[in-house]
Amino acid sequence: MTSPERKPMKGGSGIPSGGRSPFNWRSLFEPFRPRREGTMPAGLIIVVMVLALCVAGLFDADSTLRKSNAKGDGWRNEIAKTVASVTDTLHINFFRNSIDDALGKNQGTKIDVEELLRRQVEAESAASAEAARKVPVLPAPTPATPMKIWVGGDSITQTFGTSFQRITQSTGIFTPTLDYHVSTGLSRPDYYNWPEHLVKDVLPANPSILVIMFGANDGQNMIGADGKVLVRASEPWMAEYRRRVAATMDLLKSPDNQRITIWCGPPPMGPGTKTRGMDLMSYIYWSEAQSRPWIQYFDTWPFFSDSSLAFSANLPNADGVVRGMRQKDNVHLSTVGGDRLSWAVIDRIGKLVNLKAGNVTPPAAQAPPASVVERTEIPPSMPGAE
Amino acid sequence: MLFPTVDFAVFFLVVFTGSWLLRPYKIAWRWFILASSCVFYGWWDWNYLMLLFLSIGINWFLGLAVFRSLTPEGERTDASRWIVRIAVVVNLGILGYFKYFDFFVSTIADKMRSIGISVDAPILNIILPIGISFFTFQAISYVIDIGRGQWRKPLTLLDFAVYLSFFAHLVAGPIVRASEFAPQLDELPDPRYVRSAEAFMLIFRGMFKKVVISSFLAVQIVDPVFANPNAYGPMAVLWAIYAYAIQIYADFSGYTDIAIGVALLLGIRFPQNFDSPYIALSLQDFWSRWHMTLSRWLRDYLYIPLGGNRGSKAMTYRNLFLVMIIGGLWHGANWTFVVWGAIHGSYLVAERIVKAKWKGHELGLPPLLVKAMQWFLVFNVVCLAWVFFRATSVDEAFTLLGRLFASSGSAAGVSLLLVFVIVASIASQFVPQRFPQKAEVWFATWAPALQIAALAGGLVLVDALGPEGIAPFIYFQF
Repeated sequence: MTSPERKPMKGGSGIPSGGRSPFNWRSLFEPFRPRREGTMPAGLIIVVMVLALCVAGLFDADSTLRKSNAKGDGWRNEIAKTVASVTDTLHINFFRNSIDDALGKNQGTKIDVEELLRRQVEAESAASAEAARKVPVLPAPTPATPMKIWVGGDSITQTFGTSFQRITQSTGIFTPTLDYHVSTGLSRPDYYNWPEHLVKDVLPANPSILVIMFGANDGQNMIGADGKVLVRASEPWMAEYRRRVAATMDLLKSPDNQRITIWCGPPPMGPGTKTRGMDLMSYIYWSEAQSRPWIQYFDTWPFFSDSSLAFSANLPNADGVVRGMRQKDNVHLSTVGGDRLSWAVIDRIGKLVNLKAGNVTPPAAQAPPASVVERTEIPPSMPGAE
Repeated sequence: MLFPTVDFAVFFLVVFTGSWLLRPYKIAWRWFILASSCVFYGWWDWNYLMLLFLSIGINWFLGLAVFRSLTPEGERTDASRWIVRIAVVVNLGILGYFKYFDFFVSTIADKMRSIGISVDAPILNIILPIGISFFTFQAISYVIDIGRGQWRKPLTLLDFAVYLSFFAHLVAGPIVRASEFAPQLDELPDPRYVRSAEAFMLIFRGMFKKVVISSFLAVQIVDPVFANPNAYGPMAVLWAIYAYAIQIYADFSGYTDIAIGVALLLGIRFPQNFDSPYIALSLQDFWSRWHMTLSRWLRDYLYIPLGGNRGSKAMTYRNLFLVMIIGGLWHGANWTFVVWGAIHGSYLVAERIVKAKWKGHELGLPPLLVKAMQWFLVFNVVCLAWVFFRATSVDEAFTLLGRLFASSGSAAGVSLLLVFVIVASIASQFVPQRFPQKAEVWFATWAPALQIAALAGGLVLVDALGPEGIAPFIYFQF
């Protein structure tokens, strides 16, 4: 780093050959002859770094814009849009998009929720619409006629769903299916289109009960129907998110009113996590579920918080032993937390469907204490939830 | 601010330019680097800066007090010893409050519940300031080094602030000593000879390891299997354990590579932090290759003060074991880290006993086969310990290990690509250092336009192969 034989120069020079001669652009295209092995003048390094970042920025413009849209970068988002627009015009984004295509990434879909809803509404008769104004009455499952139950959602559903699948299987009266997709939700249909997946892949299997959980990845900006960025938690954002939630809930209605969806609100997130707005999401889910009897909102919040409804990673189960309910990231549930939520949800299902033919009595070491109950009303915000 | 982001790229362009323009002006350059480091750290949360400033102020003052209490010949006095002890207690007190308070309180509460006394534990849910373990260890080493008479002149407050807060090593190391860093502040590196090829290679390699390899392994198998071990069979669990060994290496050494490369572009040389750790033939060898700056910190400021290997064999074994337990706890407040340290400590002790007993004995096997067996054993012991390092609780770690002997379970996540990535990542550590060094020298002779194209292509490739968004580095939490 230091040069014993040369006096250090003042300032950074951008001269490829190491001298103070004027900068020559043509020298950029000639093999470089470093005076010392592996070195380059600071000035030329600036040129190399700036140009390399600019070139990479142009090729990656679409990807940068996607990330910027999601984060809500403000003025940086405007720059990202401008750059993406230029690269689109010049077709520079072709290279990166080709790589994405080859890797199967960022495959957006043209099918939107409105279109799916329109098709469903057309197929419904007036009589079935009338039936859907009541909570669906499902036949009691038995070991001989088990009930199809589907559990899915984002990465939190990974642990919860695995526990739920194992526990429902052990009751002997359910045939469970687990279907989670990490980093997904309702805010980024370009990344993963849940409504489309539900209609195309989930509902055709005709599950009687769906248990669904979203929200942990949705606390980010969205692109509205008009292509504009909606800033997280702003009024337009809430209106759009509410619209998507409502539309997804409507999609889950069965024509014969023979399907119940348990829509689980997200649990509170621990300190230090970047996951935001879980209280707001819960409020939106709960309030939209109020007018849809086929959607039963399940309030997970009290099951993962202390008596004052503040986040708590360690909680006692029914046997009084305190256990870790969350993974180290304070976002995802531990296996113990997954078991706890599973038994609570099964208990809730038991209030809607006769489950007496199955083994649905939870072990005290896995179930929440009887004192933990859902809230009757969900407020739009919780102190300390942000 | 995370390294592999547009924010950091723009930040670094400004810092690089400003740094080389101001380098000849010693004071102005120091203030510029200090301000840049504050911006870098404050990007997460400006409130954390207060803690950093507090650490700088306290440790600089204590360092000065220790120096003044030494004899003119630099010999220790009772006063200097006491001030060093105070410095250690203050630093560990701050670290303990942020890192271990909740752990300590909940452990006490659990113990009391187990004997029938119900207590409402005052859990504070304290947010751990990023990098606190790293800059606290650096601060402790500075005061102790002065107390030992290894520094004949304490740093000025400005120099100490630049040393402790320097953004390249601030949040996840390497743990650089003042004796390595401070002399470089007074040197004037020649702007005509910046080691760009080595730096670019390090930065690209680090980004590839972090963004592509580490993220792929996490999403493909590590996170699903560690979250729900009961859903998986022996095949998936085994590959998940191996994958985590590679993930944590790629993540942490990737960060270090970027940090060293970034500092190198500014004319600052950091010590090496990783040296192909998974080629180690003994655990002692592993610790001379893995997180090397932490290893030597533990050796110099814990193992040797405890007596090192100067006492009886039993004392040496005790010291080794204790150092590994404390090293485990340094990573976090959880019994999983204690078990992780205990596995390493026990194996290190066992290794010494076996070596002493078998000294001079020949197995009669081909040397290559013996080496292969040693490598296999050490690698798998390290992987076994990683299970506890990664698991949420000791129970969950045992559940996962139990699944290695399960008769059924899914093998989801295991694919040819996964196996290739793991095997290739291990194999790459056996590549002699001279090959990448030759590549660096060759890269430096490319036409600048070609270098620009290669760097841009590398950035696009990393972004395309990586996931949407960058997960925080694993070692940030420590």
